[in-house]
Amino acid sequence: MSIFSYQDADYAIREDIKQAHRDYWQKLATPGNWWTGAERVAIAAETRNALSCSFCGIRKAALSPNSVSGTHDSNSNLPTAAIDAVHRIITDQGRITQVFVDQLAANGISNEAYVELAGVVVNTFSVDEFSRALGLALEPLPEPETGAASGYRPAQAESGTGFVPMLPREGLTGPEENLWPNGRSANVLRALSLVPDALKDWLALSSAQYLSVPGMANLVGQDDRSINRMQMELVAGRVSSVNECFY
Amino acid sequence: MLRASATTRETEVNINGINGNVAAADVGVEFGAELMQFAEAVATRNQAGLEHSRTALRSIAGTDVLVDAAGVAANFQRMVRIADSMGIPIDDTESDLGKSVRSELDLGRFASAQNTFG
Repeated sequence: MSIFSYQDADYAIREDIKQAHRDYWQKLATPGNWWTGAERVAIAAETRNALSCSFCGIRKAALSPNSVSGTHDSNSNLPTAAIDAVHRIITDQGRITQVFVDQLAANGISNEAYVELAGVVVNTFSVDEFSRALGLALEPLPEPETGAASGYRPAQAESGTGFVPMLPREGLTGPEENLWPNGRSANVLRALSLVPDALKDWLALSSAQYLSVPGMANLVGQDDRSINRMQMELVAGRVSSVNECFY
Repeated sequence: MLRASATTRETEVNINGINGNVAAADVGVEFGAELMQFAEAVATRNQAGLEHSRTALRSIAGTDVLVDAAGVAANFQRMVRIADSMGIPIDDTESDLGKSVRSELDLGRFASAQNTFG
């Protein structure tokens, strides 16, 4: 049986959403730029663990995340700093700071590894959230593929925006020449660009679950969606507000 | 983007639906109250609220709307985590539309505002 069949739904799930989820699961299992396939799947598993982590609950309630100490509910073989980063991104992302990211680097999680980790976390979480929103079972995580991480870092990455280096808004060359969908970028696209594959993964998911970047220019609505743009943005806005998203 | 879309469609909306005002969510947006409450339940991870709001949205709007709304909600559960984990500032702090929306929704109260305004 194909993965992401969503057979427990008694209604149709759009085929492009199913395919985007299948495609992401395949990429999740494949060695990345800074993590192996096994490590990427372990990061995805930790993404699920974070939601029921008792220490995360205590830390979230604390006035400052640095005012409490403890260990996360986890049986992962990932480095401790990586486990903490996964849990922070899922349960307390609004209080991540430059100092936190710098400390990760000092503890062996380079900026590049952090960006790829974040990409795996947010994409896995988003695929899972779709199922949770509809009351459907979560898809089992994929079996990882063997192989080494490539270690690829884009040459044009530069510091100065946010916590990690990012690619510039304009003038991309080489393998990244066509990375920006319309030739120019915004910070939300630049955010994961230190690992271009992480950006490509989220763009592919976004095109199915929300809109493609060119599709975002259509402020009325797309014929292949059952909700218009105002309805989409009301949903997007309420989710972002609950999550205290300033951006 | 809600305001920009409404302006394009020449429709009056009340963006305070984004902050959880049910009556405001229904202004100018079909199924607005049900969509807003569904989105809120997804983001707050309130299981009882999610089951209730899912049933309500499906009942009034149908399963195609429910599926598309779930996709958008799932997508934006991710976006905030990308923005905040990478510490990105907003792109244009000076646009009148942006200033107006940030003021009306009091977005400066969020901790991640410091990524833009320090």
